[in-house]
Amino acid sequence: MFKRFMDDMKKYWKYAVYSSRAQLKSEIANSYLNWLWWILDPLCFMLIYVFMFGYVFKSDEQYFAIFVFIGITMWDFFNRCLLQSVRVIKSNKPIVSKVYIPKFILVIIRMCINGFKMFISFLIVAVMLIVWRVPITWNILYCIPILLTLFMLVFGFGCFLLHYGVFVEDLGNVLNIALRLIFYLTGVFWNIMDRLPAPYNAYIGKGNPIAFLLTSMRECLIYGQTPHRKLLLAWFLIGLVISIIGIRKIYKNENSYVKVI
Amino acid sequence: MEEQHAIEVTDLVISYQNLKKTSIKKSLLHFKRRTIDRFVAVKGISFYVRQGEILGIIGKNGSGKSTTLNALAGIFSPDSGTIDLKGHSISLLSIGVGFQGEMTGRENIILSGMLLGFSEEQVHAKEQDIIDFAELGDFIDKPVRTYSSGMYSKLAFSITAILETDIMLIDEVLSVGDQKFKKKSYNKMKSLISNKDRTVVIVSHSIDTLKQLCDTVMWMHEGQIKKIGEPGPVLDEYVKFMEKS
Repeated sequence: MFKRFMDDMKKYWKYAVYSSRAQLKSEIANSYLNWLWWILDPLCFMLIYVFMFGYVFKSDEQYFAIFVFIGITMWDFFNRCLLQSVRVIKSNKPIVSKVYIPKFILVIIRMCINGFKMFISFLIVAVMLIVWRVPITWNILYCIPILLTLFMLVFGFGCFLLHYGVFVEDLGNVLNIALRLIFYLTGVFWNIMDRLPAPYNAYIGKGNPIAFLLTSMRECLIYGQTPHRKLLLAWFLIGLVISIIGIRKIYKNENSYVKVI
Repeated sequence: MEEQHAIEVTDLVISYQNLKKTSIKKSLLHFKRRTIDRFVAVKGISFYVRQGEILGIIGKNGSGKSTTLNALAGIFSPDSGTIDLKGHSISLLSIGVGFQGEMTGRENIILSGMLLGFSEEQVHAKEQDIIDFAELGDFIDKPVRTYSSGMYSKLAFSITAILETDIMLIDEVLSVGDQKFKKKSYNKMKSLISNKDRTVVIVSHSIDTLKQLCDTVMWMHEGQIKKIGEPGPVLDEYVKFMEKS
Protein backbone atom coordinates (compact mmCIF):
# COMPACT_ATOMS: atom_id res chain seq x y z
CA MET A 1 0.00 0.00 0.00
CA PHE A 2 2.81 2.40 0.85
CA LYS A 3 4.38 1.94 -2.55
CA ARG A 4 1.08 2.48 -4.29
CA PHE A 5 0.57 5.64 -2.29
CA MET A 6 3.98 6.99 -3.25
CA ASP A 7 3.45 6.10 -6.91
CA ASP A 8 0.08 7.81 -6.94
CA MET A 9 1.48 10.86 -5.22
CA LYS A 10 4.24 11.10 -7.78
CA LYS A 11 1.84 10.65 -10.64
CA TYR A 12 -0.87 13.01 -9.45
CA TRP A 13 1.08 15.59 -7.46
CA LYS A 14 1.43 17.90 -10.44
CA TYR A 15 -2.25 17.53 -11.17
CA ALA A 16 -3.07 18.50 -7.58
CA VAL A 17 -0.87 21.58 -7.74
CA TYR A 18 -2.20 22.69 -11.11
CA SER A 19 -5.77 22.11 -10.05
CA SER A 20 -5.33 24.06 -6.81
CA ARG A 21 -3.75 26.95 -8.66
CA ALA A 22 -6.51 27.03 -11.24
CA GLN A 23 -9.19 26.93 -8.54
CA LEU A 24 -7.58 29.74 -6.59
CA LYS A 25 -7.40 31.77 -9.77
CA SER A 26 -11.01 31.12 -10.64
CA GLU A 27 -12.08 32.09 -7.12
CA ILE A 28 -10.64 35.55 -7.44
CA ALA A 29 -11.57 36.00 -11.07
CA ASN A 30 -15.21 36.36 -10.07
CA SER A 31 -15.12 39.03 -7.42
CA TYR A 32 -14.24 42.71 -7.55
CA LEU A 33 -11.86 42.81 -4.64
CA ASN A 34 -10.08 39.73 -5.99
CA TRP A 35 -7.27 38.40 -3.86
CA LEU A 36 -7.81 41.11 -1.29
CA TRP A 37 -10.51 38.85 0.13
CA TRP A 38 -7.90 36.39 1.30
CA ILE A 39 -6.57 39.15 3.54
CA LEU A 40 -9.82 40.98 4.30
CA ASP A 41 -11.69 37.90 5.42
CA PRO A 42 -9.51 36.92 8.39
CA LEU A 43 -8.75 40.57 9.12
CA CYS A 44 -12.42 41.50 9.49
CA PHE A 45 -13.14 38.54 11.72
CA MET A 46 -10.17 39.46 13.85
CA LEU A 47 -11.53 42.99 14.30
CA ILE A 48 -14.91 41.61 15.32
CA TYR A 49 -13.43 39.26 17.89
CA VAL A 50 -11.00 41.85 19.21
CA PHE A 51 -13.89 44.23 19.70
CA MET A 52 -16.17 41.62 21.27
CA PHE A 53 -13.69 39.96 23.56
CA GLY A 54 -11.10 42.65 24.03
CA TYR A 55 -13.49 45.47 24.88
CA VAL A 56 -16.91 44.03 25.66
CA PHE A 57 -15.73 41.01 27.68
CA LYS A 58 -12.45 42.61 28.69
CA SER A 59 -9.95 39.94 27.86
CA ASP A 60 -6.50 40.75 29.15
CA GLU A 61 -4.28 38.58 26.94
CA GLN A 62 -1.02 40.14 25.88
CA TYR A 63 -0.99 41.06 22.16
CA PHE A 64 -4.65 40.13 21.95
CA ALA A 65 -5.04 40.97 18.26
CA ILE A 66 -2.22 38.63 17.21
CA PHE A 67 -3.49 36.04 19.67
CA VAL A 68 -6.89 36.05 17.97
CA PHE A 69 -5.48 36.27 14.47
CA ILE A 70 -3.34 33.14 14.86
CA GLY A 71 -6.39 31.38 16.26
CA ILE A 72 -8.63 32.32 13.35
CA THR A 73 -5.99 31.49 10.77
CA MET A 74 -5.40 27.96 11.97
CA TRP A 75 -9.01 27.32 12.84
CA ASP A 76 -10.19 28.40 9.38
CA PHE A 77 -7.82 25.97 7.73
CA PHE A 78 -8.95 23.11 9.93
CA ASN A 79 -12.63 23.96 9.64
CA ARG A 80 -12.70 24.52 5.87
CA CYS A 81 -10.67 21.44 5.02
CA LEU A 82 -12.91 19.16 7.04
CA LEU A 83 -16.18 20.64 5.81
CA GLN A 84 -15.04 20.44 2.21
CA SER A 85 -13.75 16.89 2.60
CA VAL A 86 -17.23 15.61 3.42
CA ARG A 87 -18.57 16.84 0.10
CA VAL A 88 -15.46 16.45 -1.98
CA ILE A 89 -16.60 13.41 -3.94
CA LYS A 90 -19.99 14.88 -4.72
CA SER A 91 -18.60 18.23 -5.75
CA ASN A 92 -16.14 16.54 -8.09
CA LYS A 93 -18.71 14.21 -9.57
CA PRO A 94 -17.96 15.15 -13.19
CA ILE A 95 -14.36 14.05 -12.76
CA VAL A 96 -14.89 11.09 -10.50
CA SER A 97 -17.45 9.54 -12.81
CA LYS A 98 -15.37 9.90 -15.97
CA VAL A 99 -11.83 8.99 -15.09
CA TYR A 100 -9.88 7.21 -12.39
CA ILE A 101 -8.20 9.39 -9.81
CA PRO A 102 -6.97 8.33 -6.38
CA LYS A 103 -9.63 9.98 -4.27
CA PHE A 104 -7.37 11.26 -1.50
CA ILE A 105 -5.84 13.56 -4.11
CA LEU A 106 -9.08 15.53 -3.90
CA VAL A 107 -8.47 16.07 -0.18
CA ILE A 108 -4.94 17.17 -0.94
CA ILE A 109 -6.22 19.70 -3.47
CA ARG A 110 -8.54 21.19 -0.84
CA MET A 111 -5.62 21.30 1.61
CA CYS A 112 -3.42 23.08 -0.93
CA ILE A 113 -6.08 25.70 -1.58
CA ASN A 114 -6.83 26.34 2.09
CA GLY A 115 -3.15 26.01 2.94
CA PHE A 116 -2.33 28.81 0.54
CA LYS A 117 -4.89 31.05 2.21
CA MET A 118 -3.45 30.13 5.58
CA PHE A 119 0.00 31.00 4.30
CA ILE A 120 -1.18 34.49 3.36
CA SER A 121 -2.70 34.90 6.81
CA PHE A 122 0.58 33.89 8.39
CA LEU A 123 2.33 36.57 6.36
CA ILE A 124 -0.02 39.04 8.01
CA VAL A 125 0.85 37.51 11.37
CA ALA A 126 4.51 38.13 10.58
CA VAL A 127 3.76 41.77 9.79
CA MET A 128 1.79 42.11 13.01
CA LEU A 129 4.64 40.60 15.03
CA ILE A 130 6.94 43.25 13.63
CA VAL A 131 4.50 46.15 14.04
CA TRP A 132 3.69 45.25 17.66
CA ARG A 133 7.42 44.74 18.31
CA VAL A 134 6.90 41.31 19.77
CA PRO A 135 10.24 39.90 21.00
CA ILE A 136 11.15 37.04 18.66
CA THR A 137 13.11 34.01 19.83
CA TRP A 138 14.44 30.90 18.13
CA ASN A 139 11.36 29.11 19.40
CA ILE A 140 9.60 30.59 16.39
CA LEU A 141 11.00 27.69 14.36
CA TYR A 142 8.62 25.35 16.18
CA CYS A 143 5.89 26.63 13.90
CA ILE A 144 7.17 24.16 11.27
CA PRO A 145 6.59 20.92 13.21
CA ILE A 146 3.33 22.37 14.50
CA LEU A 147 2.10 22.99 10.96
CA LEU A 148 3.26 19.54 9.82
CA THR A 149 1.27 17.97 12.63
CA LEU A 150 -1.74 20.05 11.65
CA PHE A 151 -1.46 18.90 8.01
CA MET A 152 -1.11 15.29 9.03
CA LEU A 153 -4.17 15.39 11.28
CA VAL A 154 -6.30 17.26 8.77
CA PHE A 155 -5.35 14.83 6.01
CA GLY A 156 -6.24 11.85 8.17
CA PHE A 157 -9.59 13.29 9.27
CA GLY A 158 -10.22 14.42 5.70
CA CYS A 159 -9.77 10.91 4.31
CA PHE A 160 -12.25 9.51 6.81
CA LEU A 161 -14.78 12.23 6.15
CA LEU A 162 -14.41 11.77 2.39
CA HIS A 163 -15.23 8.09 2.77
CA TYR A 164 -18.21 8.42 5.09
CA GLY A 165 -19.44 11.56 3.37
CA VAL A 166 -20.23 9.46 0.32
CA PHE A 167 -22.46 7.01 2.14
CA VAL A 168 -23.99 9.14 4.88
CA GLU A 169 -26.04 11.94 3.39
CA ASP A 170 -26.35 14.21 6.39
CA LEU A 171 -22.83 13.81 7.71
CA GLY A 172 -22.22 17.41 6.69
CA ASN A 173 -24.88 18.68 9.09
CA VAL A 174 -23.56 16.61 11.97
CA LEU A 175 -20.03 17.73 11.25
CA ASN A 176 -21.15 21.34 11.24
CA ILE A 177 -22.54 21.01 14.75
CA ALA A 178 -19.53 19.03 15.96
CA LEU A 179 -17.14 21.59 14.55
CA ARG A 180 -19.01 24.41 16.24
CA LEU A 181 -18.63 22.62 19.57
CA ILE A 182 -14.94 22.05 18.91
CA PHE A 183 -14.64 25.70 17.93
CA TYR A 184 -15.70 26.79 21.40
CA LEU A 185 -13.48 24.15 22.99
CA THR A 186 -10.49 25.33 21.02
CA GLY A 187 -10.08 28.79 22.42
CA VAL A 188 -9.85 30.73 19.21
CA PHE A 189 -10.45 33.99 21.05
CA TRP A 190 -9.76 33.05 24.64
CA ASN A 191 -7.12 31.14 26.51
CA ILE A 192 -8.47 27.73 27.54
CA MET A 193 -5.80 27.28 30.14
CA ASP A 194 -6.94 30.37 32.08
CA ARG A 195 -10.66 30.34 31.47
CA LEU A 196 -11.60 26.74 32.20
CA PRO A 197 -11.56 25.26 35.73
CA ALA A 198 -8.51 23.31 36.79
CA PRO A 199 -8.54 19.68 35.67
CA TYR A 200 -10.67 20.26 32.56
CA ASN A 201 -8.48 22.90 30.97
CA ALA A 202 -5.62 20.41 30.75
CA TYR A 203 -7.85 17.68 29.36
CA ILE A 204 -9.16 19.87 26.59
CA GLY A 205 -5.92 21.75 26.05
CA LYS A 206 -4.07 18.51 25.40
CA GLY A 207 -6.79 16.16 24.25
CA ASN A 208 -8.22 18.44 21.59
CA PRO A 209 -5.50 18.44 18.94
CA ILE A 210 -6.48 21.67 17.30
CA ALA A 211 -6.61 23.45 20.67
CA PHE A 212 -3.20 22.07 21.53
CA LEU A 213 -1.68 23.08 18.19
CA LEU A 214 -3.19 26.53 18.43
CA THR A 215 -1.87 27.10 21.92
CA SER A 216 1.56 25.81 20.93
CA MET A 217 1.66 28.11 17.93
CA ARG A 218 0.88 31.12 20.09
CA GLU A 219 3.45 30.08 22.66
CA CYS A 220 6.25 29.85 20.13
CA LEU A 221 5.32 32.87 18.02
CA ILE A 222 4.14 35.43 20.57
CA TYR A 223 5.38 34.40 23.98
CA GLY A 224 8.76 32.92 23.00
CA GLN A 225 8.11 29.64 24.78
CA THR A 226 8.94 26.09 23.77
CA PRO A 227 5.85 24.02 23.07
CA HIS A 228 5.26 20.64 24.68
CA ARG A 229 7.50 18.60 22.38
CA LYS A 230 6.51 15.09 23.43
CA LEU A 231 2.84 15.84 23.08
CA LEU A 232 3.46 17.40 19.69
CA LEU A 233 5.25 14.27 18.54
CA ALA A 234 2.44 12.14 19.94
CA TRP A 235 -0.19 14.05 17.99
CA PHE A 236 1.92 13.84 14.86
CA LEU A 237 2.10 10.06 15.20
CA ILE A 238 -1.64 9.85 15.87
CA GLY A 239 -2.19 11.89 12.72
CA LEU A 240 0.06 9.54 10.80
CA VAL A 241 -1.84 6.48 11.99
CA ILE A 242 -5.21 8.05 11.16
CA SER A 243 -3.92 8.98 7.71
CA ILE A 244 -2.68 5.46 7.01
CA ILE A 245 -5.98 3.90 8.06
CA GLY A 246 -7.83 6.53 6.04
CA ILE A 247 -5.82 5.91 2.89
CA ARG A 248 -6.30 2.18 3.24
CA LYS A 249 -10.03 2.69 3.61
CA ILE A 250 -10.14 4.85 0.50
CA TYR A 251 -8.09 2.41 -1.58
CA LYS A 252 -10.41 -0.39 -0.60
CA ASN A 253 -13.62 1.43 -1.39
CA GLU A 254 -12.89 4.24 -3.83
CA ASN A 255 -14.19 2.51 -6.93
CA SER A 256 -17.57 2.00 -5.33
CA TYR A 257 -18.12 5.69 -4.67
CA VAL A 258 -19.32 6.33 -8.20
CA LYS A 259 -22.05 3.76 -7.82
CA VAL A 260 -23.54 5.68 -4.92
CA ILE A 261 -23.41 9.33 -5.96
CA MET B 1 1.74 -16.91 -33.99
CA GLU B 2 0.14 -15.99 -30.73
CA GLU B 3 -2.29 -13.13 -30.77
CA GLN B 4 -1.58 -10.04 -28.72
CA HIS B 5 -4.45 -9.30 -26.40
CA ALA B 6 -4.97 -5.71 -25.34
CA ILE B 7 -7.82 -6.37 -22.94
CA GLU B 8 -8.61 -9.57 -21.12
CA VAL B 9 -11.73 -9.84 -19.03
CA THR B 10 -12.52 -12.94 -17.00
CA ASP B 11 -15.67 -13.70 -15.03
CA LEU B 12 -16.50 -10.06 -14.53
CA VAL B 13 -19.30 -9.47 -12.05
CA ILE B 14 -20.45 -6.00 -11.15
CA SER B 15 -23.32 -5.36 -8.81
CA TYR B 16 -24.77 -2.36 -7.12
CA GLN B 17 -25.30 -3.85 -3.71
CA ASN B 18 -25.31 -2.73 -0.10
CA LEU B 19 -24.37 0.68 -1.29
CA LYS B 20 -27.60 2.41 -0.59
CA LYS B 21 -27.09 5.81 0.80
CA THR B 22 -28.16 6.28 4.37
CA SER B 23 -28.45 9.28 6.55
CA ILE B 24 -28.13 9.41 10.28
CA LYS B 25 -31.67 10.71 10.53
CA LYS B 26 -33.04 7.81 8.49
CA SER B 27 -31.16 5.14 10.38
CA LEU B 28 -32.44 6.57 13.65
CA LEU B 29 -36.04 6.63 12.50
CA HIS B 30 -36.13 3.35 10.62
CA PHE B 31 -33.82 1.31 12.69
CA LYS B 32 -34.86 -2.14 11.64
CA ARG B 33 -36.39 -1.64 8.26
CA ARG B 34 -33.19 -1.40 6.31
CA THR B 35 -33.47 -3.21 3.06
CA ILE B 36 -30.53 -4.32 1.07
CA ASP B 37 -30.73 -3.29 -2.53
CA ARG B 38 -28.91 -5.65 -4.75
CA PHE B 39 -28.82 -5.31 -8.46
CA VAL B 40 -26.39 -7.31 -10.52
CA ALA B 41 -25.64 -5.39 -13.68
CA VAL B 42 -22.98 -7.66 -15.18
CA LYS B 43 -23.21 -11.37 -14.44
CA GLY B 44 -19.86 -13.02 -14.95
CA ILE B 45 -18.76 -12.23 -18.48
CA SER B 46 -15.43 -13.17 -20.04
CA PHE B 47 -14.01 -11.87 -23.28
CA TYR B 48 -10.83 -10.51 -24.76
CA VAL B 49 -9.98 -7.83 -27.26
CA ARG B 50 -6.99 -8.26 -29.55
CA GLN B 51 -4.46 -5.51 -30.11
CA GLY B 52 -5.84 -3.16 -32.76
CA GLU B 53 -9.25 -4.77 -32.76
CA ILE B 54 -12.48 -2.80 -32.78
CA LEU B 55 -15.10 -4.34 -30.55
CA GLY B 56 -18.69 -3.17 -30.68
CA ILE B 57 -21.06 -3.82 -27.81
CA ILE B 58 -24.77 -3.82 -28.48
CA GLY B 59 -27.77 -4.65 -26.34
CA LYS B 60 -31.01 -3.18 -25.06
CA ASN B 61 -31.08 -0.51 -22.37
CA GLY B 62 -29.95 -1.76 -18.99
CA SER B 63 -28.12 -4.78 -20.33
CA GLY B 64 -24.87 -3.74 -18.65
CA LYS B 65 -23.04 -2.23 -21.63
CA SER B 66 -22.09 1.05 -20.04
CA THR B 67 -21.31 -0.62 -16.74
CA THR B 68 -18.84 -2.87 -18.51
CA LEU B 69 -17.27 0.12 -20.20
CA ASN B 70 -16.95 2.01 -16.92
CA ALA B 71 -15.32 -1.03 -15.37
CA LEU B 72 -12.81 -1.20 -18.23
CA ALA B 73 -12.01 2.46 -17.64
CA GLY B 74 -11.27 1.72 -13.99
CA ILE B 75 -14.09 3.84 -12.65
CA PHE B 76 -16.03 0.91 -11.21
CA SER B 77 -14.35 -1.90 -9.42
CA PRO B 78 -15.40 -5.45 -10.24
CA ASP B 79 -17.11 -7.39 -7.45
CA SER B 80 -15.32 -10.44 -8.71
CA GLY B 81 -13.36 -11.40 -11.78
CA THR B 82 -10.45 -9.55 -13.32
CA ILE B 83 -9.76 -6.98 -15.98
CA ASP B 84 -6.27 -7.01 -17.46
CA LEU B 85 -5.32 -4.06 -19.64
CA LYS B 86 -1.71 -5.18 -20.10
CA GLY B 87 -0.49 -1.77 -19.03
CA HIS B 88 -2.15 0.21 -21.81
CA SER B 89 -3.37 3.75 -21.31
CA ILE B 90 -7.10 4.07 -21.60
CA SER B 91 -9.66 6.83 -22.00
CA LEU B 92 -13.41 6.88 -21.88
CA LEU B 93 -15.19 9.13 -24.32
CA SER B 94 -18.74 9.90 -23.40
CA ILE B 95 -20.77 13.06 -23.31
CA GLY B 96 -19.14 15.60 -21.01
CA VAL B 97 -15.69 14.66 -19.83
CA GLY B 98 -15.08 15.81 -16.29
CA PHE B 99 -14.87 19.56 -16.44
CA GLN B 100 -14.72 21.98 -13.56
CA GLY B 101 -17.23 24.71 -14.26
CA GLU B 102 -15.41 27.58 -12.61
CA MET B 103 -12.23 27.09 -14.60
CA THR B 104 -11.50 28.20 -18.12
CA GLY B 105 -11.53 25.84 -21.06
CA ARG B 106 -7.78 26.09 -21.36
CA GLU B 107 -7.24 25.04 -17.75
CA ASN B 108 -9.69 22.21 -18.18
CA ILE B 109 -7.76 20.93 -21.18
CA ILE B 110 -4.61 20.68 -19.09
CA LEU B 111 -6.39 19.11 -16.15
CA SER B 112 -8.24 16.54 -18.24
CA GLY B 113 -5.04 15.69 -20.07
CA MET B 114 -3.16 15.19 -16.84
CA LEU B 115 -5.90 12.91 -15.57
CA LEU B 116 -5.62 10.85 -18.74
CA GLY B 117 -2.01 10.21 -17.80
CA PHE B 118 -0.16 12.81 -19.87
CA SER B 119 2.39 15.18 -18.43
CA GLU B 120 1.75 18.90 -18.35
CA GLU B 121 4.30 19.45 -21.13
CA GLN B 122 2.73 16.82 -23.38
CA VAL B 123 -0.66 18.44 -23.00
CA HIS B 124 0.80 21.89 -23.62
CA ALA B 125 2.29 20.60 -26.84
CA LYS B 126 -1.13 19.51 -28.09
CA GLU B 127 -3.11 22.31 -26.48
CA GLN B 128 -3.28 24.41 -29.65
CA ASP B 129 -4.45 21.45 -31.75
CA ILE B 130 -7.25 20.81 -29.29
CA ILE B 131 -8.31 24.44 -29.26
CA ASP B 132 -8.24 24.60 -33.06
CA PHE B 133 -10.20 21.41 -33.40
CA ALA B 134 -12.84 22.49 -30.89
CA GLU B 135 -13.49 25.79 -32.72
CA LEU B 136 -14.34 27.64 -29.54
CA GLY B 137 -12.67 30.95 -30.37
CA ASP B 138 -12.39 33.36 -27.45
CA PHE B 139 -14.50 31.15 -25.23
CA ILE B 140 -11.49 28.98 -24.53
CA ASP B 141 -10.39 31.51 -21.87
CA LYS B 142 -13.84 31.81 -20.30
CA PRO B 143 -15.11 29.60 -17.47
CA VAL B 144 -16.62 26.35 -18.72
CA ARG B 145 -19.91 27.03 -16.91
CA THR B 146 -20.62 29.77 -19.47
CA TYR B 147 -20.47 27.29 -22.36
CA SER B 148 -23.47 26.09 -24.27
CA SER B 149 -24.01 22.35 -24.25
CA GLY B 150 -22.74 22.13 -27.83
CA MET B 151 -19.50 23.91 -26.98
CA TYR B 152 -19.11 21.74 -23.95
CA SER B 153 -19.34 18.51 -25.89
CA LYS B 154 -17.14 19.87 -28.68
CA LEU B 155 -14.37 20.59 -26.19
CA ALA B 156 -14.81 17.24 -24.49
CA PHE B 157 -14.66 15.45 -27.80
CA SER B 158 -11.59 17.34 -28.97
CA ILE B 159 -9.64 16.54 -25.82
CA THR B 160 -10.14 12.81 -26.07
CA ALA B 161 -9.73 12.80 -29.84
CA ILE B 162 -6.47 14.73 -29.96
CA LEU B 163 -4.87 13.21 -26.87
CA GLU B 164 -4.68 9.69 -28.18
CA THR B 165 -4.56 6.80 -25.76
CA ASP B 166 -3.77 3.14 -26.57
CA ILE B 167 -7.28 1.99 -25.81
CA MET B 168 -10.32 4.11 -26.49
CA LEU B 169 -13.70 3.41 -24.96
CA ILE B 170 -16.55 5.11 -26.74
CA ASP B 171 -19.97 5.38 -25.19
CA GLU B 172 -22.47 6.25 -27.91
CA VAL B 173 -20.64 9.41 -28.94
CA LEU B 174 -19.13 9.23 -32.37
CA SER B 175 -19.92 12.75 -33.35
CA VAL B 176 -21.07 15.89 -31.58
CA GLY B 177 -22.09 19.45 -32.33
CA ASP B 178 -23.77 20.98 -35.34
CA GLN B 179 -23.89 19.52 -38.84
CA LYS B 180 -20.46 20.75 -39.84
CA PHE B 181 -18.72 19.70 -36.66
CA LYS B 182 -20.56 16.41 -36.72
CA LYS B 183 -19.01 15.53 -40.04
CA LYS B 184 -15.56 16.65 -38.94
CA SER B 185 -15.71 14.77 -35.64
CA TYR B 186 -17.07 11.65 -37.28
CA ASN B 187 -14.19 11.62 -39.76
CA LYS B 188 -11.70 12.22 -36.99
CA MET B 189 -13.20 9.39 -35.02
CA LYS B 190 -13.08 7.08 -37.98
CA SER B 191 -9.43 7.80 -38.64
CA LEU B 192 -8.66 7.25 -34.95
CA ILE B 193 -10.56 4.02 -34.83
CA SER B 194 -9.09 2.58 -38.01
CA ASN B 195 -5.53 3.14 -36.79
CA LYS B 196 -4.00 -0.35 -36.76
CA ASP B 197 -2.44 -0.06 -33.29
CA ARG B 198 -5.42 1.34 -31.49
CA THR B 199 -7.78 -0.91 -29.61
CA VAL B 200 -11.31 0.42 -29.49
CA VAL B 201 -14.44 -0.61 -27.65
CA ILE B 202 -17.64 1.05 -28.86
CA VAL B 203 -21.01 0.92 -27.17
CA SER B 204 -23.74 1.90 -29.57
CA HIS B 205 -27.34 1.34 -30.58
CA SER B 206 -26.67 2.14 -34.19
CA ILE B 207 -26.56 -1.07 -36.22
CA ASP B 208 -25.10 0.70 -39.24
CA THR B 209 -22.20 2.23 -37.35
CA LEU B 210 -21.26 -1.05 -35.75
CA LYS B 211 -21.49 -2.90 -39.04
CA GLN B 212 -19.28 -0.33 -40.71
CA LEU B 213 -16.58 0.04 -38.06
CA CYS B 214 -16.28 -3.09 -35.98
CA ASP B 215 -14.25 -6.26 -36.38
CA THR B 216 -16.22 -8.07 -33.71
CA VAL B 217 -19.58 -7.43 -32.10
CA MET B 218 -20.61 -8.52 -28.65
CA TRP B 219 -24.31 -8.70 -27.85
CA MET B 220 -25.12 -8.29 -24.21
CA HIS B 221 -28.43 -9.29 -22.75
CA GLU B 222 -29.32 -8.81 -19.07
CA GLY B 223 -25.75 -8.78 -17.90
CA GLN B 224 -24.58 -11.73 -19.94
CA ILE B 225 -23.00 -12.23 -23.31
CA LYS B 226 -25.65 -13.59 -25.61
CA LYS B 227 -23.43 -13.80 -28.63
CA ILE B 228 -20.02 -12.64 -29.76
CA GLY B 229 -18.49 -12.89 -33.21
CA GLU B 230 -18.52 -11.44 -36.74
CA PRO B 231 -20.60 -8.24 -36.95
CA GLY B 232 -22.91 -9.47 -39.75
CA PRO B 233 -24.51 -12.56 -38.18
CA VAL B 234 -24.59 -11.21 -34.63
CA LEU B 235 -26.24 -7.96 -35.65
CA ASP B 236 -28.80 -9.71 -37.87
CA GLU B 237 -29.79 -11.96 -35.02
CA TYR B 238 -29.95 -9.00 -32.65
CA VAL B 239 -32.27 -7.12 -34.98
CA LYS B 240 -34.54 -10.15 -35.30
CA PHE B 241 -34.56 -10.62 -31.55
CA MET B 242 -35.45 -7.00 -30.89
CA GLU B 243 -38.27 -7.05 -33.42
CA LYS B 244 -39.79 -10.14 -31.87
CA SER B 245 -39.80 -8.89 -28.30
